[in-house]
Amino acid sequence: MKKKLAVMALCLSMAAGSLSACGGNTSETQAVAETQAASQGAEENSTTEGEVAALPEGIAEGPIMLTSVGQSADVNVVQTLLKKCEIESDLNATVTADQLDGYKTLVLAIGGSSKGLGAAGVDENQEIERVKAVIAKAEEQGMTIISLHIGGSARRGTLSDKFIPDALAAADAAIIVSEGDEDGMMKGIVTENGIPAAFVENQVGAVEPLQTLFVK
Amino acid sequence: MNLKKYKHAITAVCVLGSLAVAGIAGKDFYDFRHYEEVIIPGEGVTSTFQLSDYNENLKGTFGDTTVYVMEGEKEGGSFLVLGGTHPNEPSGHMAAITMIESGKVEAGTVYVIPRTDNSAFTHNDAQEASPHFFHIETESGTREFVFGSRASNPIDQWPDPDVYTHQSGQTLSGSEMRNINRTYPGVKDGTLTEQISYAITNMITTLDIDMEMDLHEASPEYPTVNATVAHERAMDMASMGILELQMAGVDMSLEPSPVTLRGLTHRELGDHTNTLALLMETGNPSQGRLHGATSEELIIDGKDKFYEKAAELGYLYIPYDENGASLDMRIGRHLQGCVEYMKAFSDMYGAEKGEIIMTGIPSYEDLTSGGKTIGDYLN
Repeated sequence: MKKKLAVMALCLSMAAGSLSACGGNTSETQAVAETQAASQGAEENSTTEGEVAALPEGIAEGPIMLTSVGQSADVNVVQTLLKKCEIESDLNATVTADQLDGYKTLVLAIGGSSKGLGAAGVDENQEIERVKAVIAKAEEQGMTIISLHIGGSARRGTLSDKFIPDALAAADAAIIVSEGDEDGMMKGIVTENGIPAAFVENQVGAVEPLQTLFVK
Repeated sequence: MNLKKYKHAITAVCVLGSLAVAGIAGKDFYDFRHYEEVIIPGEGVTSTFQLSDYNENLKGTFGDTTVYVMEGEKEGGSFLVLGGTHPNEPSGHMAAITMIESGKVEAGTVYVIPRTDNSAFTHNDAQEASPHFFHIETESGTREFVFGSRASNPIDQWPDPDVYTHQSGQTLSGSEMRNINRTYPGVKDGTLTEQISYAITNMITTLDIDMEMDLHEASPEYPTVNATVAHERAMDMASMGILELQMAGVDMSLEPSPVTLRGLTHRELGDHTNTLALLMETGNPSQGRLHGATSEELIIDGKDKFYEKAAELGYLYIPYDENGASLDMRIGRHLQGCVEYMKAFSDMYGAEKGEIIMTGIPSYEDLTSGGKTIGDYLN
């Protein structure tokens, strides 16, 4: 009986995926992700052994809202990386859901910082709730979501790890510095959810993937 | 045996023994307090002045210290480097001295204070069994440098209150009143430590110094390590610097200066002056709580089997293995950081304020894989 239900769920999610075959909005990505996750779960029973999909070209465009997930200063570094790609963005590290009107792309810079949370005057739970609301609104508006984890192992651990799953699972594409994923946690999330991702050696390595993702 | 018979003799022996211990310890304390560390300025230093020029209350005290001025032939921006804020964090102190001894400013003006809290160089932390000095081989012979304390000498500022209330109203434990990096922007006629921080704030304001870097070290088990902390006005420039550092082989995280944590350079100098306030941290195994004996070898080589074990268990925030975290490597991080932030400043503000360029100091690569040691850059 359980097997039958699983097959039915798989078929339904594949149908949903085929009904929304073009574009790059989040609901489509999620449908595909669910399909891939279900098939991976059935076939491999593994979260980290799947192939990571290559980044699609030109799925993101301005206007861009750049925000932090965890209040680390990596959000500033991401803006500098965007500038190096000649991509303009509005940085608001504490943006709220009602401030997304008019934006087409949401860029999430993931990484927790106790100093940053203190500077923003929020605790980790408030930050997680803010980010969830922002992601939900972005999905509702059909915005493209790009998530970056560029802080490496310095942005892993008890605090940062709480911010990673939601922000990464919601992405249409992700850029991750490999040194921060030695345990394969982030690779697991992107493969489970079928999220195209680029694993780069260091922060500077994020420039090329960003150029790929954004419409010239 | 009837000890009563000898009670006067025993008392006399005890008193003499105590006096001998007090005498030997007292001489040791006295000698350390009055030790004059030798810094040999290179040709890049164009002038010096005393910090007391910016707070006359410091004149004749152990809080006064020398400011080294390195003026470039070409006009440009200005940069203040604070070494020795905490004299038990030697890479900041030594990076500042290396700038003074081997650096040459091509454009702009660089001010270097190698002994920011001079009073804290006149003793070291109680119950830590730290060496007073560490030694570095140079072309001119063996040079001796001070390994001091995190805080000003209690002889200069005593007693500590139970609670230290910063001028902002923030309360900390009483001993933090002697930690200069909790006393900014300072008080002109306050405690000695507050007088020093006031003088630095006043100097930055008076000379209109564009950028400031405070060089620190932290325990390998402390999360904010191998990091730059930046005031919000300096964040864009710091982001550029971080990327440039990475291209130079130095991984550095960037942290925002907490608005609510008061008294620190990256907060108060950013708030109370126009300077772009930055602070850098390297990982210093002689400073943490997990190491074995605090020896000169540990300060210089940074090798410790207990930290190696802690690294294996994933408890550290710096890369650490049997090679340790040497003083050379940590100085290299600070110097490369200063160079990259000077470049970032020049890129962002060069057109308006002029560039800041310093040459002659070793790069991170020079001091790690380049076969050089810090002694090669000292006079």
